[in-house]
Amino acid sequence: MINNKIRYALVKGDKTYGQITDELLLNVEQKPPLWWFAGMTIGTILLAIGGWAFYMSLSQGLGTWGLTNSVAWGWDIINFVWWIGIGHAGTAFTIFFLVFRQKWAGSINRSAEAMTVFAVMCAGLFPLIHMGRPWLAFFILPYPNTRLLWLNFNSPLFWDVLAISTYLITSIMLWYMGMVPDLATIAQRTKNKVGKFLYGMFSLGWNGSLYTYNRYETLMKILGGLAAPLVISVHTIVALDFAVSVLPGWHATILPPYFFVGAIFSGFAMVLTLMILFRKAFNLFDYITEKHLDNIAHVLKYGSLIIGLAYVTEMFTAWYSGVDYEIYTFFRARATGSFSVAFWIMFVFNAVIPQLFWFKNARKNLIILFLVSIVINIGMWFERYIILVSSLAEDFLPSSWTHYSPTMVDIGIYLGTFGLFTCGMLMFVRYIPIVAVNEVKPIARAEKLRKQKAQDHEH
Amino acid sequence: MSTKQIIGVFDDESVLLKATQKLKENGVNIKGIFGPSADHDLIKKLTKESRLPYLSVATGVITIILTFAFVYYVSVIDYPLHYGGKPVFAFPPMVVILFLVCILITGAFTTFSFLTSEKMFPGKSAKVVHPRSLDDRFYLVLDRNFNPEEIIQWLQDSGVEEIIEEENEA
Repeated sequence: MINNKIRYALVKGDKTYGQITDELLLNVEQKPPLWWFAGMTIGTILLAIGGWAFYMSLSQGLGTWGLTNSVAWGWDIINFVWWIGIGHAGTAFTIFFLVFRQKWAGSINRSAEAMTVFAVMCAGLFPLIHMGRPWLAFFILPYPNTRLLWLNFNSPLFWDVLAISTYLITSIMLWYMGMVPDLATIAQRTKNKVGKFLYGMFSLGWNGSLYTYNRYETLMKILGGLAAPLVISVHTIVALDFAVSVLPGWHATILPPYFFVGAIFSGFAMVLTLMILFRKAFNLFDYITEKHLDNIAHVLKYGSLIIGLAYVTEMFTAWYSGVDYEIYTFFRARATGSFSVAFWIMFVFNAVIPQLFWFKNARKNLIILFLVSIVINIGMWFERYIILVSSLAEDFLPSSWTHYSPTMVDIGIYLGTFGLFTCGMLMFVRYIPIVAVNEVKPIARAEKLRKQKAQDHEH
Repeated sequence: MSTKQIIGVFDDESVLLKATQKLKENGVNIKGIFGPSADHDLIKKLTKESRLPYLSVATGVITIILTFAFVYYVSVIDYPLHYGGKPVFAFPPMVVILFLVCILITGAFTTFSFLTSEKMFPGKSAKVVHPRSLDDRFYLVLDRNFNPEEIIQWLQDSGVEEIIEEENEA
């Protein structure tokens, strides 16, 4: 086993197990605060807007979207890639925790996993709506049918279907199995009859036996190990949707690693945003410490460097290839032409601003951390915008060049997914412990033992 | 013959570990250990290694073989379609499919195997020794024994917090 020494306190204060249970179940056991209801109201309004946009797309067709003959993939695919990217961090945290035994991920992975589940749900909606007739979505599955047709297994779009459904199911399994012991704890403590019934039902009869824990630990390691390559594959396949085409700016071998790093980068930024909010809202300062935020900031810093390298490599490859179309896309359309504003927002927000995290003071400053995390998410949205729209709007034939702008329906669906995400996360913080109680307890104990050892050493 | 069931209550894993090892050395049957969390060392020292990984690997291998057979049947035998002169049987795209299906089926099957082997299912009523066993105490439940006095003595020597004696229905 890797022996990684913990240098900073991951759980502050000498807490007993009882204290940890009380403090971490606070969000479930207390009445929800006022802002929770406000958040739910906003989320519901956004969902309603999304519902309207969804209805418009179904009843009047995709003509209500801003798509044109050239730009056949617009906001929906941008947002799809953006949400999938955000979804990546949750599983990445679980892998850090379960496979690499990084103890600091222990108090973050539950909420990061929740974020993954809801983000992937939001992402999955876009291709579904884009089909035009979502009720026929099962056509994309390989099943024997009356038309005697099979799927084209060589198509990246089919891989995408497989990748995203596999990812969603595996993340839900990881997330749910991870919280079974905590649900059992709540079921024992709650006095509410309905709550007792529901938590009891979902805790699957967990009784805390050590022999169950033995198999459970093995199961979680297997699931974590299986999810590790899956994380890499999902965004690689999303990138292949683009990379196997012949459009300038898409047809590049660097796209899969570039997308993958981008996904981890944006996902960690979203985790940082949420962690700063959660620790303040539920007084989790002792469990999500400055050390956790510092670690995420470090990951973001290196992620930003890799992203910057990818941007520059792409441009170099375009120049070195000598292909006119490639050079046009990268040096004219993106860097200096009609998409230059978006391009430079992307470049500065993703590759330059996170470099602030080289400075310790920036990593310690919550406002800077929060602002940079938001900036990265905006930057990553623009990255997907640049990749998609600039390549499609100005392709080989200048006669077919076009402008792209979203319609209200496009924007409505995007807002709707924000509603879904907000409501989902708020329901999560209301009914499920934000920090995995049963995983934090051994970490707190290890911390205590380490302290004792250090004290004994001094005497 | 005594039919008393003895339960030792502990508040620290290291004490629990010492007591359990002592009882095991003396041949006392341990019915179960229940606690709010499980330290990796504790699990390693007190339980046998789970065989779940072997099952997982076997599932993975079988899944890959079956998926390969399915994709081969579909794209070569039943419905060979030519896309721009590309070969009907292409291995590289198949790797992606094999990989993903393998993860999906192996993950799901391993989870269900775990639930089956632990006899866990939604709605099962949990047999919890004491509500605190899911909060902050560890409960060492022992089988009916011939020498309860001796066991109680051993437990007390180890630093147990509390000893509960229950009349066993059996």
